Amino acid sequence: MKTSKLDKRLWLTTALCAASTLAFVSGAFSYDRGWGRSEWDRRHQHHHANNNQGHQGGNHDNDPAAAVKTESPIKHVIILIGENRGLDHTFGVYKPRGKGQTISNLLSKGIVNEDGTPGPNFALAQQFSVGAQPSYYIGAPKIAKFPYNAMNVMPQPNTAGTPTAQRDTAPPFKTIAEASVETDMSPDDLLFLTTGASNLPTNSLDTRVPGAGNLPNGPFPLQGPILSDDDYTGDTTHRFFQAWQQQNCSITSATKDNPTGCLSDLFPFVMATYSATNKSQGNSMGFYNAMQEQAPILKMLADRFTLSDNFHQSFQGGTGANHFMLGTGDAGFWSDGNGNATPLPANVAAADPNPKAGTVNQYNVDGNFVGCADVFQPGVKPIVQYLNNLPYAAEPNCKARHFYMVNNTNPGFLPNGVLAGGTTLPPQTVRTIGDSLNEKKITWAYYGGAYNDAVILWDAAVKANPSAPNLTAAALADPAHALGVAYCQICNPFQYAKSIMADPAVRTAHIKDTADLITAIQTNKLPSVSFGKPDGLLDGHPQSSKVDLFEAYVLHVLDALEANPQLKANTAVFITWDEAGGYWDSGFVQPIDFFGDGPRMPLLVLSPYSTGGKIHHSYGDHVSLLKFVERNWKLQPLTNRSRDNLPNPKPSKNNLYVPANMPALSDLFDAFDFDRPVNQPYTE
Amino acid sequence: MTTAPAGPAGPAGVGRLEEAGHASTMTRTIAALLFIAVLCDAAQAQQFSADLVRVDAWGQPAGSAGRVHVAGDKVRIETPKMADGYFVIDSAIPTAFFVRPARRVFMDAKQSSALTAVFIPVDPNDPCPRWQAMAVVAGAAEHDRQWRCERTAAETIEGREALVYRTVSPQGRRHTAAIDLQLKVPLRVTAEDGSSTVMTNIVEAPQAASLFDIPSSYGKFDPQALIERIKQSDVWVDEPR
Repeated sequence: MKTSKLDKRLWLTTALCAASTLAFVSGAFSYDRGWGRSEWDRRHQHHHANNNQGHQGGNHDNDPAAAVKTESPIKHVIILIGENRGLDHTFGVYKPRGKGQTISNLLSKGIVNEDGTPGPNFALAQQFSVGAQPSYYIGAPKIAKFPYNAMNVMPQPNTAGTPTAQRDTAPPFKTIAEASVETDMSPDDLLFLTTGASNLPTNSLDTRVPGAGNLPNGPFPLQGPILSDDDYTGDTTHRFFQAWQQQNCSITSATKDNPTGCLSDLFPFVMATYSATNKSQGNSMGFYNAMQEQAPILKMLADRFTLSDNFHQSFQGGTGANHFMLGTGDAGFWSDGNGNATPLPANVAAADPNPKAGTVNQYNVDGNFVGCADVFQPGVKPIVQYLNNLPYAAEPNCKARHFYMVNNTNPGFLPNGVLAGGTTLPPQTVRTIGDSLNEKKITWAYYGGAYNDAVILWDAAVKANPSAPNLTAAALADPAHALGVAYCQICNPFQYAKSIMADPAVRTAHIKDTADLITAIQTNKLPSVSFGKPDGLLDGHPQSSKVDLFEAYVLHVLDALEANPQLKANTAVFITWDEAGGYWDSGFVQPIDFFGDGPRMPLLVLSPYSTGGKIHHSYGDHVSLLKFVERNWKLQPLTNRSRDNLPNPKPSKNNLYVPANMPALSDLFDAFDFDRPVNQPYTE
Repeated sequence: MTTAPAGPAGPAGVGRLEEAGHASTMTRTIAALLFIAVLCDAAQAQQFSADLVRVDAWGQPAGSAGRVHVAGDKVRIETPKMADGYFVIDSAIPTAFFVRPARRVFMDAKQSSALTAVFIPVDPNDPCPRWQAMAVVAGAAEHDRQWRCERTAAETIEGREALVYRTVSPQGRRHTAAIDLQLKVPLRVTAEDGSSTVMTNIVEAPQAASLFDIPSSYGKFDPQALIERIKQSDVWVDEPR
């Protein structure tokens, strides 16, 4: 039986305790593996000496991917990627269900209480403003920092672009019938596309937040009589140089527990100052309360399976660069389209985050590219100097004369494979995990929400005006396929890749729609490796989507998998996000190179081998997912400079979160117990 | 059930236009009414259903393009390319909608399918005005772009008499269209590359009125606000060119 999120909410309110108890009991036999090399890892190495054939799996006739030799019993990986939610933002108030499990979050640190009110250690989260400085910085001088207080009030939450009221033609829709333009969710969940309007003006104080206007210096709950996780809330800027500045890293701030010295204490300040027009203000400090039925589906999955509390966005800033890193372990750069770096054209400005004269922190040019091999480029030196001062080898990994994409820039290919031109990122030759899988003839696909509609729209747009195709005009001219505007181009790392997009046969074999993912699951055609990205209505992005809409998308996929038990038995589903969305987080950050890491995000690991409500502490980022795929299917690192070359973390004494061998990234194998499958339901 | 939302005028609307442009002398009124009657008769198609089949440039079948039902000025087109719904067209008003029954929504057809642009009842002696009116409805006739039609021949297709036209659409696409003299609809439309869409298996019979209805409970979808909402997300990246 298919499960709607609405059903799920009702069910949760009546039966969560019982079901969770069952989950708890079924996982109670498991042990806390901590992190690093798991018990299975150690046993497996022993087995490996006698048998290097790998797992042959079963069910070959019905499931071709099951015949492929793998390092573990996992024959399929599905990576579902939401938008813009951090770990503390989502699981800041959460208590693990697994026996003896611990988590690092707002609640465990005493920053907030279980009801979301300020806790005994609320001051650990305090934020600062900074006096004007002559140039861009990422480690603010201590003498120039001032804590927010009654006289220097922390920027407050703002509605920004939050929808004010229901509309006939856009979320939140007035009726479920109108909402049914969306097909990648259970029809019963369409209700969530009709709710959540703010009833407030855009770009105004978000008075739905209790106490808004006088909120104390620290995180605040997105919860109140007229505010829940079913409401749209204002976005907060999440761009490269802003994120580095918010993280406020300096080796002079380093401690034993925080050896990288990142304080993460300038979040609202940077939002309030980097631009004269930005309205993000204090939104970065908002969080949900999973212990009070917010994000209930995500919580249910964490209760039953495994949640990482040390998983990070791989790139400082936003969507495009993080997805690119997810697909390549690297950063994209401006080029001639054949892999040769070229200078930026005159109509593409390099970033210059140095402050405009007479302002506190207003960036000169909030650009999308940076030549980070040249420390004389604006904004580069503070980051490179900081990396050089770290107590481990954190090379910038910037090539000379390369201008890297650090903020959202559309791919050089349109979704239909036509060259986009203009200021889009020229076709990339940075090697992707898709290239690596293709070479080994291992099946894979990227399933993008509304992709099929997008191809139809772009075909029409190109036909109407080949030199300047107009997506908006195409959507207005073709309402039946208008949802194609909600397909996310910058979320698809493979859409940047010449090796995949320039060849129609390769493109159509590997770039597909969410509907194709559901069909693949239902028909035993699921590839070995799948990436699933919801469209813009369901991706969970603040302002344009909601947490519960991403949950509905997740359930849509999990429902299909639940209905195919044989497939479910050898499939691992990773649920994570592109980035923390600019939300503040209290966790440790391990800077690896010029591009990241950034704050923590949730990573849920779902499989029969990762049950029990456990918390995975080993340090990881998006590239850990690449490492899992590479290890499981016996692939080499993508290139000699990609992050998947980094070793697995080794535990340091007395600290679960800081690798002793930085920089290091987990391959996530230690999030599984491959010897002990437990058939835990995903949806019921 | 109700009929599809109507525009400001059906065939009678043409009459209002005529009246607006003429003095109310008896002679002119009679002339106008005669003109309307002739126009209506010319465009009035019979009731029938048919298959639409694609044929490649070498004359080989290339799959189904859909199915069409016609009753007077009303047309219903079902196409496998958009299997979750159907088009309903009233070429007299004119209007064209795409209906998604499972989702209980309908929307302007606009340019969602090329079939709705041409497979409508027309005057076999002057098909361009109806196609032009439909192009205006579809938003495909901006900047005064016009359909152009040039009669080239008469032809018999599977026993049916047809007039053949060379046509140019407002988008500049060239076709050859064979218009059935009796049914007053295109029997065959051939593109520049030689491929055709052909009406076959024609069955002349009354068509149920419900085929052309849009239930009054259905909501109308318009993409404009959806686009604006998407522009609030990371999905949308403005492209300064």
